[in-house]
Amino acid sequence: MSADPLISVRSLSKHFRTFERREGIVGGLINLFHREYRIVKAVDNITFSIGRGDMVGYIGPNGAGKSTTIKMLTGILVPTSGEILSNGFVPWRQRAAYVKTIGVVFGQRTQLWWDIAVIESFKLLRRIYDVSQRDFDERMELFDQVLGLRAFLHTPVRKLSLGQRMRCDLAAALLHNPPILFLDEPTIGLDVVAKDHIRQFLRAINERYKTTVLLTTHDLDDIEQLCRRIMIIDRGALLYDGPLAGLKERLLRTKQIKFILRDGEQAPRLAAFEHSLSASAQNGLLHLERLDEMTCRLRFDRSSVSTSDLIRRILAAVEVRDFVIEDEPIEEIVKRIYSGEVFAAPPGPQP
Amino acid sequence: MTTAAHPLTARRGRLQASFAKYAEFIRIGFVNILAFRLRYYTGIITYLINVTVYYFIWRAVFANAAGSLLGFSLAQMLTYVNVGWIIRSFYWNTIDQEMAYEVIEGKIAMDLIKPVSVEWMWLTRAMGESGFRLILLTAPTAIVIALLFPVLPPASHLHFVLFLFAALGSFLLMVAINFLIGTCAIPLKSILALIRAKYWLIELLSGLLIPLNFFPRAFQLISSWLPFEHIAYTPLQIYLGRLSPAASLRRVALEYVWVAALLLLGHLWWTRATRKITIHGG
Repeated sequence: MSADPLISVRSLSKHFRTFERREGIVGGLINLFHREYRIVKAVDNITFSIGRGDMVGYIGPNGAGKSTTIKMLTGILVPTSGEILSNGFVPWRQRAAYVKTIGVVFGQRTQLWWDIAVIESFKLLRRIYDVSQRDFDERMELFDQVLGLRAFLHTPVRKLSLGQRMRCDLAAALLHNPPILFLDEPTIGLDVVAKDHIRQFLRAINERYKTTVLLTTHDLDDIEQLCRRIMIIDRGALLYDGPLAGLKERLLRTKQIKFILRDGEQAPRLAAFEHSLSASAQNGLLHLERLDEMTCRLRFDRSSVSTSDLIRRILAAVEVRDFVIEDEPIEEIVKRIYSGEVFAAPPGPQP
Repeated sequence: MTTAAHPLTARRGRLQASFAKYAEFIRIGFVNILAFRLRYYTGIITYLINVTVYYFIWRAVFANAAGSLLGFSLAQMLTYVNVGWIIRSFYWNTIDQEMAYEVIEGKIAMDLIKPVSVEWMWLTRAMGESGFRLILLTAPTAIVIALLFPVLPPASHLHFVLFLFAALGSFLLMVAINFLIGTCAIPLKSILALIRAKYWLIELLSGLLIPLNFFPRAFQLISSWLPFEHIAYTPLQIYLGRLSPAASLRRVALEYVWVAALLLLGHLWWTRATRKITIHGG
């Protein structure tokens, strides 16, 4: 963190009042006249700062408060309490002036006009953000080089694939060359090639313009490839804020192989395999679970066991119909943080 | 201070904003409606069908009337209907539906992250759509109607100029009303019923279907205190010369008072509704 942060957030909280719907017809009728309200602490007293040119990953399970934080940082939501100073602005007070200096991409939504050609949206955005024709042409050239936009600039947005649309949305968010870029799930639903495009582009922009990036994601590869620093949020509270390097060995070391047995005959062979595993698991994690009749999950520590070795052993031991290798889901990581596996002194759930 | 919340800064931004920015929204509104060829052709056909239906209805009605009905001759009545549908093709817009759609899709948030006044964005977008309608819908419809059906010329040059101002006012009234209705989507989410109710209310109270002087006195009195009759009845009365130039001018002035009042109301309602999203979440 630099001495003079570009974004500083202090004791930020956002509480929502929601009402609980009663069940059934009678409950529905009662709802018409009386509602029970409940306070939900979507973001609860978080503090952090981000320096110029940093790329920070912001992760946490669904409903942890990531999007709410981004919405407050972009001026869409007014915090319940706390302070934000971003690029010298208080986002929700100086919205019109502030949003000129930021770029925002919500992976689930598009800011482009649905029914008209992509280039028309870009022209509109050029006017809205007062970008000169020269800058516009120069940036379009760069975006085209990295993102390959030219092929579908004249296609209506609704006819684009998700990956193409995402590339256009990124370009749209960066047309006015904002010093800050907020990305909410920029790679959600994309295939490997499209994800790679996006990551390359973000790296290029960060390098060339020193753009500060805060991104939320569910994909740990995004974080590994882009961010030196991560923040983990759960139930509205920050669990971890620091360099990725230290956490990587502890957090991202676990992978899992899920495999489906060919038939019911495999049960005794599986038991034998399980036995041989527990014999060889002297250091590090190596844990087999049966998820149902035919499906098994093998969690292992990739620093102590090689993935290919393990697959060879599985295939030798039992007949397998299908298998997948995955990273551990973020939900599991958060669970492990809570259980004290990752930190010596776990922060524990906030009261 | 709560007055520093963003809708007010949006207004300041609006004042500072160059015209070029919003001219671009007019263009986009134009391009957007161009994207649907089928909707365009069916639009023209719908208007022609409507005019044809009313042509035969009024001929049937006048077949039993002794020359004139409540001060309308058959020629005047048919002109009323034809000119009425011609200006309707211009003043009508669907920004309430578009706003409702954007709210349901959560796109209002995407509008809030742009350095523009969202109200002016909708207004200028509607202007683009109406510009489109004027050139590509109103003009051909008017030509076809004038060729197929009897249409009287306007009462005088002065009446025609006042009629044009009144018709422009009709457009602004529709924008203001639709913006009010569309904003209701923010607290209510689903406003389909509201949009439908508004549709029939305006078809009836604007005087498009039946001139308002055909209704009972009490009804006319209530209507004179509402903005709706200025959408069609006022410009058509002026076109036919059923009001003196001085009276016409007063009516147009009253119409624009309504435009100003409803736009202001829309601004207040929008400010309140968006403050609600920014505080309570979407």
